[in-house]
Amino acid sequence: MEITVAFNKVDYKIGTTTILNNISLDIKAGEITGFLGLNGAGKSTLLSLINGLRNQTSGKITLLGTELPSDDGRLRSKIGVVFQETALYEELTTFENLEFAAALYNLENTKERITEVLELLKLMDRKNQIVKTLSGGLKRRVAIARGFLHDPQLLIIDEPTLGVDVEARHAIWSHLRLLKSQGRTIIVATNYLDEAQALCDMVAVLHKGRLLTTASPDYLVSRAGYCLDVECDAEAGEKFIDILSGKKGVLRADTTPSGLSIFLKDRTLKKQMLDIIVGTGKINGFRFRSPDLAEVFKSLQEKNDHVP
Amino acid sequence: MFLRVLSASFRAEIIKLFRSPFLIALVMVQAVTFLFLVTLFGLTGAFAPTALIDYDKGPLAKEFVKNLENAHHSFSLMFNYDYKKALEEIRHGNLVAIIMIPQGFSKAIAASRTAPIGVVIDNIDTDMSMDIQRALPSAITDFGRNQGFKEIRVESAEKDLIDHDTDFVTYMVVSALVLAALVISGILSGVAVASEFESKTVEFLAVSPIHPLVVFIGRVLAANIVSVIGLTVAVAVGLIGWGIKPLYPLQMAGVLLVSVFIFGLVGMALGVSMKKAFPVASFIFGVALPLYLFSGTYEPERFDGNLLWAMAHFTPLYYAVGIIEHAVLGLKVTPESVTVNYLALAGWALLALYVSWRLTRKNILS
Repeated sequence: MEITVAFNKVDYKIGTTTILNNISLDIKAGEITGFLGLNGAGKSTLLSLINGLRNQTSGKITLLGTELPSDDGRLRSKIGVVFQETALYEELTTFENLEFAAALYNLENTKERITEVLELLKLMDRKNQIVKTLSGGLKRRVAIARGFLHDPQLLIIDEPTLGVDVEARHAIWSHLRLLKSQGRTIIVATNYLDEAQALCDMVAVLHKGRLLTTASPDYLVSRAGYCLDVECDAEAGEKFIDILSGKKGVLRADTTPSGLSIFLKDRTLKKQMLDIIVGTGKINGFRFRSPDLAEVFKSLQEKNDHVP
Repeated sequence: MFLRVLSASFRAEIIKLFRSPFLIALVMVQAVTFLFLVTLFGLTGAFAPTALIDYDKGPLAKEFVKNLENAHHSFSLMFNYDYKKALEEIRHGNLVAIIMIPQGFSKAIAASRTAPIGVVIDNIDTDMSMDIQRALPSAITDFGRNQGFKEIRVESAEKDLIDHDTDFVTYMVVSALVLAALVISGILSGVAVASEFESKTVEFLAVSPIHPLVVFIGRVLAANIVSVIGLTVAVAVGLIGWGIKPLYPLQMAGVLLVSVFIFGLVGMALGVSMKKAFPVASFIFGVALPLYLFSGTYEPERFDGNLLWAMAHFTPLYYAVGIIEHAVLGLKVTPESVTVNYLALAGWALLALYVSWRLTRKNILS
């Protein structure tokens, strides 16, 4: 498969502080790739090395066949960027923002293209609304609309659903999936594992400037284990841990303030484990859930190896 | 593509500015404010109230008062005071001085005797005291000459270099127009550019195929339109309110337009350098008056010595004042020709463009 962006042993430093350390990564064309990590992991910095707002300290980055840094305006016209802070002109309307972007990218048939994009992102009814009066979710949709207005080969989105409500979040995900289905390569940086699961074909997990692993989101989740949270008192919790430790299919069990969390290799083990627990002692409640990002990190750091 | 982006950013900034009618109104008020400011400055103390108490009331005393009124001074004579009331008023700060013509003044002069004129001065400000100290001897000399005093054997034979006199306030108001151009155009342009950094829209520009400087220039041109509107109001107020009749109206319009554009570019360079709107506005406002005073606003700067004159060459206002004083009043206040002054302003424009170009990418990347 064609490679859109290739990082080869890339470092980025500010003074003596290392922000990104020895990143090697290939981003495939036509896929949605996620940069997953907690705040300060280096996701946004990695994005800014691609979009040209920063230059790497060492290593090699190739974007659409061109080595970075590059001052080539034609290369910049092939990428679309949606910033974390939207970077929209707040005093202008949605249409005026897109019209200005169309001029920057020298688009032809401006009105038709803007209308097409507004319709795609269901923003036609907000066309003449001044941006500063839009909600956070709508602003983000306008920013996405502006990002792919010029039909870029690569769309880079920093925190696509930061600060938006659940409904808008799902709407944005569905728009991004639509863009992917039209053949675009998309890179998203996100804090949320569920967002990566909902959107990404592949994720690169970053932690303190290092690339921990690259894998499919489902693989990461299964590696961390499906989590059974059990509410119980501390004494019962200790007893459950003793019984469950070493059982087949149990990856690990941790005590929590409200009881314990048991990580299972397979979803289907849920009933079997519950039966064992209920037969051993009293519980106040339980729930079954996917692991969160912190738990994924923990599993990756515990094993400290690379996932294919 | 360059022209398309220039036009799009111009349009976007115009839309933004005209969605803030209060800002446009403020710009117009600000432009006119400078004319009032310098006028007040020029008129301060020009009509300082001075009581004249004539104890003599004789014909020569009246003649002396006429000479006093015609003498060069900046006070206004008030006649309805007795000494006690005048003393009370001077202590309350309502009078600057009391001039008293003693009883027997006319008789003493007629008899060729010396007649003392009593003066009480509130010397809180020596400028006022010195004005009275200059005016009285001048009035006494004129009075003596009119009365045929034989002892006065010297008189001035004035020959003017310029065929018309220029009022001090008019001189200052004319140069205040370029001060207004600096402040309004510099601030509007600087703020337009700095706000690109503040709102981080500059990052969007930086990832686009065109250099952000093209967008900034478009914004500066839009800010120029609003500045020209403000200055047009100021010029109209100057022409009507102050009765200024420009000798070369087209040259006046030309220098104002050039000033608006070049000071806009200077504002842009400051906006790129500082990246924040408030410091840009404060800086321009803060340095505008010192630069204005420093650039030959009271009189040609070379009158204040070679050092100040040499330093004044580093301010764009010096050249703009030189051109506008020539355009409106026909004065040559700089030894450099109008053409050289225009070239110097063009140099400032190029410098501002160069600084902006050098700093834009650097400041975005940082």
